[in-house]
Amino acid sequence: MVPLEHVLVFSAILFSIGLYGVMARRSAVLILIAIELMLNAVAVNLVAFAAYVDPQQFSGMVFAVFVITIAAAELGLGLAIVLRVYRMRTSVNVDDLDMMRW
Amino acid sequence: MTFDVNQLDYALLAPEFIILGLIFVVWTLDLILGRAHQKLVGWTAVVGLVVGIAVAALQWGTRASFAGALRIDEFSVFFKIVFMLMAIGITLISLEYAGRFLPQPGEYYGLVLTGTLGMILMAESNELLTAYISLELLSFSSYVLVSYAKTNPKSNEAGMKYIILGAFSSALLLYGISLLYGALGTSYLPDIARAVSRLGEVTPALGVALMLILAGLGFKIAAVPFHMWTPDIYEGAPTPITAYLSVGSKAAGFALVLRLLVGGLLPIHGLYQTVFAVLAVLTMTLGNLVAIRQRNVKRLLAYSSIGQAGYVLVGVAALSTLADVAEQATQGMVLHLTGYVFTNLAAFGVIVAFQNVSGGRELISDMAGFARRAPFAGLVMMAALFSLAGMPLFAGFVTKFYLFAAAARADLLWLVAIAIINSTVSLYYYLLVIHQMYVRTPPGFEVAVNGHPAHGAHEAPHAPVPAMATAVAVEPIGAAAPVGNAELIAAGGRASRGAAGAHPGTAAAGIRVVPSADGHAPGHGAHAVQGAHDAHGAGGNGAGTPWWRRDITADMPPEDAFPPHRISWVTNLSLALFLVGIFVIGLWPQPVIDLLVEASNALFAG
Repeated sequence: MVPLEHVLVFSAILFSIGLYGVMARRSAVLILIAIELMLNAVAVNLVAFAAYVDPQQFSGMVFAVFVITIAAAELGLGLAIVLRVYRMRTSVNVDDLDMMRW
Repeated sequence: MTFDVNQLDYALLAPEFIILGLIFVVWTLDLILGRAHQKLVGWTAVVGLVVGIAVAALQWGTRASFAGALRIDEFSVFFKIVFMLMAIGITLISLEYAGRFLPQPGEYYGLVLTGTLGMILMAESNELLTAYISLELLSFSSYVLVSYAKTNPKSNEAGMKYIILGAFSSALLLYGISLLYGALGTSYLPDIARAVSRLGEVTPALGVALMLILAGLGFKIAAVPFHMWTPDIYEGAPTPITAYLSVGSKAAGFALVLRLLVGGLLPIHGLYQTVFAVLAVLTMTLGNLVAIRQRNVKRLLAYSSIGQAGYVLVGVAALSTLADVAEQATQGMVLHLTGYVFTNLAAFGVIVAFQNVSGGRELISDMAGFARRAPFAGLVMMAALFSLAGMPLFAGFVTKFYLFAAAARADLLWLVAIAIINSTVSLYYYLLVIHQMYVRTPPGFEVAVNGHPAHGAHEAPHAPVPAMATAVAVEPIGAAAPVGNAELIAAGGRASRGAAGAHPGTAAAGIRVVPSADGHAPGHGAHAVQGAHDAHGAGGNGAGTPWWRRDITADMPPEDAFPPHRISWVTNLSLALFLVGIFVIGLWPQPVIDLLVEASNALFAG
């Protein structure tokens, strides 16, 4: 069996890539995809913990299923809003969202 | 923790099921009745919520757990009732606003209800997955509601900012939860409490987990390093939704923080208490200082609500393993949150009423003279702002006193001192709003005295819609008044938007308001100047008159020069309800104390 640490390092790397994406990307769609990466890292984490730390119960697995569902819903909602901003502004660059500041 | 699916007691969730049913009823009704009858849909939601409150009140005193994931105790019942009252308030102040400014008001009421359901579940969740899902239920509803004004670019921008930042923060929270689950092997709060007290220290994994969870929840309650979204989203969202976020979302976030910190992590709270003290200082100070410079009233209240979150964080910092100090701090927090709910609802209710009559204006300078044209709404706003500042007699004083007393008992006197200084600072910018409403004259009605030009619209750099309506001329009737002493000038651009242009018939004795025939007044020039008025007789303020002999009333236009705003009875009713809430807590009667003590003590009975 793969040691738990390997899985955790993998999920930490995945999470960090997502974090970097959120910070570095300027397109709202790509930011949403980066957030999706972060949520996937969480799902990997949860499944790993469910298998190694708490094998008698399924709460980690159930948690992962919920996370996937919620992530999908979040992306759907996010894209709908991004689409509407695009129709109004013809841009999804987050730097263009500057009507309100300070 | 294990449970048997066949032995779940669904009756415990009766209020939640009522709200769930109500959501479908509301959406179906909206489908059938359509936009024309949106008020009926709103009233249905209100009636359903009243039933929900009655059923929830019957639960008072039960202490039970639903599958270990939801805990029904006095704490959750209390917050259930508060949230449902808040949803009623939001629906009532939305009735007129939604019809004017929003598409599909029926769906809007349904979404307010789904978010309320999320808040309720947050307050009673006793397990991390449940907490997360209910938090997302609230967040998703808020994302949609914030961007609900489809045609308003600000609302869309706010919605996009909110969902990107919200999804990001929920990813952080979730990563933290997954690490906590891995480090302790459970996601149920009572088990977590046992595990951490066995552990007795913050291991690196647990530390990272707690930091991430703090970041995720800090976003929800708008604590300072995670507050950046607040002003923009509050400004862009439709105003009742701003109220909803600042009141409900924040209170629900704090309810969850309390569940987590008191129910789960209290045994190791002393180890990271300083973090919360620092957060409290940052949150209070930044919120209150930046609020001073705001010109938009929604943004002002956004920063003020950040400051208020800082006060509650003082209570969080004061939690400790000493039972009685922790209990007092919790009571203080619950109390402050409750007072804050009613107070902020009242403040935003007035802004909604103001926007209804002014066509959606939101600058503080636009509110000039508002109290004269809508005395009751102005009074409620003043009470709400005094309560936010913590003046005696109003809710804010009692709640802050209680909260800070608890912090003082926890040996955090320096924190209390900073909090009190901040309260004083906050009074300044609240008074700015009150000053605009009570002392300044409404735009378009400035009076030129002794030939000084009236500064009609200088404080409106954002050009209003080109003046298209009737400019108003004021003519004295009756006794011939000396011409040239004081001139009542109605500046064309602004007057047209006020009620003066709308109800030319409401002229009162002595002054006749005459719509001028000229339709288009370009720019803001003082447009219709006619006649003169010297309503206060021979007093006069000559150049040589010393200040104590000056007749200050001579500089003011007469009362009846301002036709009153027509604020609907529903809005006035809801404002009256909020006002009662402010005073009921502010006067601090025994039943309220008992209620709060019981509600917050239930947290410790876990």
